[in-house]
Amino acid sequence: MRAWGEGMRDLKFGVLIVSGLSLAGCGTVETMAPKPAPAAVATLPSDALIGKWGIASYREEKDRVRTERMARSFCGRSPYVIKKGPTDGVMMHVADDTKEYELALKRSRDGKTYLGFATPPGDPQDREIVSMSDKEVIMRYVDPDANTRYGTFIYVRC
Amino acid sequence: MIKTIAASLLLFGMLSPSLVHAQAASAAAQRETMDIGDEPGRISTEEAIIKSGPFARQLVFFRSNEPPGTLVIHTSERFLYLVMPNNRALRYGIGVGREGFTWSGLVKITRKAEWPDWTPPPEMIARQPYLPRFMAGGPGNPMGARAMYLGSTVYRIHGTNQPETIGQSISSGCFRLANGDVIDLYSRAAVGAKVVIRHSAQL
Repeated sequence: MRAWGEGMRDLKFGVLIVSGLSLAGCGTVETMAPKPAPAAVATLPSDALIGKWGIASYREEKDRVRTERMARSFCGRSPYVIKKGPTDGVMMHVADDTKEYELALKRSRDGKTYLGFATPPGDPQDREIVSMSDKEVIMRYVDPDANTRYGTFIYVRC
Repeated sequence: MIKTIAASLLLFGMLSPSLVHAQAASAAAQRETMDIGDEPGRISTEEAIIKSGPFARQLVFFRSNEPPGTLVIHTSERFLYLVMPNNRALRYGIGVGREGFTWSGLVKITRKAEWPDWTPPPEMIARQPYLPRFMAGGPGNPMGARAMYLGSTVYRIHGTNQPETIGQSISSGCFRLANGDVIDLYSRAAVGAKVVIRHSAQL
């Protein structure tokens, strides 16, 4: 699996080439842009995720409000701490893995926002961001199995 | 210590279960969270039952002075009996508390819940930090499909997302049944029903 930082380096390098060629009038972005890889990976500032969060999950909409309340109640007891990563991302866990990885927010062409590795948005290891504000983030695993098992997560800022 | 004494006295008929009264629900166990020794995220459907062997649900001869509708749990044998008329009982295979987490006493079912919520204990969060701190009820929830709350203790009779653990002793004092079996029991056991938990020393 490629680290987020590697993907971002590729992307930045590609952007530099394209910018240079465009400035020199030697080509267009369409013809000279590097091929697909990071093309769909448009990043969003991930810093908004840094901090302490109360997290809880639910499956049915009827449980959402009380799950949010429960998430908040864990701020004091057992908050989930998200720190800044070495490059542009944040350090977080993925499903069923005790290690932390650098993940980042990315936006797909259809406007959806995902959190994950430097892969095209919507990768099975991604989380889909259902909604996001300063105080609360709602997300779910893209992988149907993980989504069924864990449900939809609510992160409430502590 | 209380548990050991209580179990011994019960074994020799010197103490009524009503006096024991679930005293084993120690201070440590009175936390909001429960370590039920299960893994979240596994899926077990409502149809999961124990189909064969001694832990399969079955009607058995059961001599008892308890009235029909009473639940009698024999933790050492890993059986839960639902007392029925004419010296009969419906017997279910269960998973019980691991060593040091078994208890005995007399309680009542104070509440019942379908697809109950689950709060992983702090030790589990430390081991699996990616877990939500609270999981609303559902198929991936270790509490399983149904729960019957026992008195004012933290203990419950509940389902499981790991039916293969029936017959084992890995919980922290709760009694677990396969989801299909706990649904069956849930439909037969009423709130207010008497629950007698017996723990005999194994020879």
